[in-house]
Amino acid sequence: MAKKILVVEDDKFLRELIAQKIMKEGYDVIEAVDGEKGAESIKKEKPDLVLLDLILPGVDGFEVLAKMKSDPATNQIPVIILSNLGQKDDIEKGLEMGANDYLIKAHFTPAEIMEKIRSVLK
Amino acid sequence: MRKKKTKSFAEISAKECFEKLKVLKNPQKALIKALKELKQAQEEAEEQRNRILAIVNNFSDGIMVFDQKNNLALINPQAENFLGIKGNNITGKSILKLARVASLKMLVDIFRNKKKAFRQSFKVGENLVLEMTTAPLMREKKRTGTLVILHDVSKEKLIEEMKSEFVFLSAHQLRTPLSAIKWILKMVVDGELGPINKEQKDFLSDAYKSNERMIQLITNLLDVAKIEEGKYLYEKSPTDIKELIQITINSFKKTAVAKKIRIKFKVVKKPSKLLLDASKIRVAVNNILDNAIKYSPSGKMVTISLNRDKKNIRVSIKDQGMGISKSQQKKVFTKFFRGANVIKKDIRGAGLGLFIAKSIIEAHCGKIWFESKKNKGTTFYFTIPIKEI
Repeated sequence: MAKKILVVEDDKFLRELIAQKIMKEGYDVIEAVDGEKGAESIKKEKPDLVLLDLILPGVDGFEVLAKMKSDPATNQIPVIILSNLGQKDDIEKGLEMGANDYLIKAHFTPAEIMEKIRSVLK
Repeated sequence: MRKKKTKSFAEISAKECFEKLKVLKNPQKALIKALKELKQAQEEAEEQRNRILAIVNNFSDGIMVFDQKNNLALINPQAENFLGIKGNNITGKSILKLARVASLKMLVDIFRNKKKAFRQSFKVGENLVLEMTTAPLMREKKRTGTLVILHDVSKEKLIEEMKSEFVFLSAHQLRTPLSAIKWILKMVVDGELGPINKEQKDFLSDAYKSNERMIQLITNLLDVAKIEEGKYLYEKSPTDIKELIQITINSFKKTAVAKKIRIKFKVVKKPSKLLLDASKIRVAVNNILDNAIKYSPSGKMVTISLNRDKKNIRVSIKDQGMGISKSQQKKVFTKFFRGANVIKKDIRGAGLGLFIAKSIIEAHCGKIWFESKKNKGTTFYFTIPIKEI
């Protein structure tokens, strides 16, 4: 069975683009447009990996991360933060909270993002 | 006078009386005069006092005076206002007692840790940020007390916060669409969305490069904003500077090969590990090296050398490029500076690289400078003091 990846991203264009790319690589994709839906999907769908944006309407990515990491049912799911917040304190905070990797959107191509996903899923 | 004993009693006594009266009269005059002067002085002092009190009481800064024993001798209404304490109930109290008042705790803490004269800001409540300045009051080299001035810097702090918020937001908002452009262009160029011909690919690759430059520019602007906020340097860790330079050089390999520029790395004397903010020093080396390659004609050489003496490490980056004209050399490290000769040749850049490099080197207590001759080349140098780890 194909592995399931949840994409939490509020920008429609970016979300669809990266979802398409992930699908092409042979994974299943679930999409969430904000933090609240993202947290719901994590609990319900138990994806194999979460690609998480940080600036989201309502509940932000840090909160989603904190919530899933405090829940024993979901705290083992790997998370890659994909955000345009690039300050060192944000990166450190994300990694300290349990994210496996932190990618700045503008600095990575879809192919490079895929590579990171594959290496985390190994 | 004694010889004139023959003179009549009345005569003498009249004269004596007159003299005595005169004497009596004079001290009275003198006394009145002295009293008058005293009164005048008193009035003047009173007036002076009133004047000073009027200034102190109406001053827009908070003023507090502590006496020799650190008891509060004076506090003006503005200071009471700032600290949320009304009335006279704290005048005369010792600093130890004042520390028990919640709003005064920060102030007292700063006061007790202070050196001779200094300045520090602290927050009182939700919306008030005060900058506290203390200065000793002296009389003939003896300390007679301490003056504390409280200045409201809330507005400045608010503007500062708004500025960083703005920079943060615009960086984020600008980066999101740029990411979309980057991703889509890359996928098209890589043929992931169907085949394209060579001409199409070339054009789209150029568009991709332009977009990359825009992304880089935003990163640089963010760095500049951080530098100006004074929040740019993070932690320093033991760093192998030779390796750091080598990695930076490697990242330019492609560009250098494409432009047929040879990069030579000479290690004269390798320093042991240094305490550096490695990622920032890399940015500094990167920016200088980027210029060296960018402003060199094809076929030339760029030489980087690393040396050390007892106190400093020294890095030089030498190119055989177009150089910087004498008249413009003063401005090289200023923000947004671009050489006139460079702009004419249509070489792109934002004029931020060297400003950032300088800020980084100076934040490491180092020095940066250059020597340049037009059409001969430029050498940039920087030194960083070696601190034992």
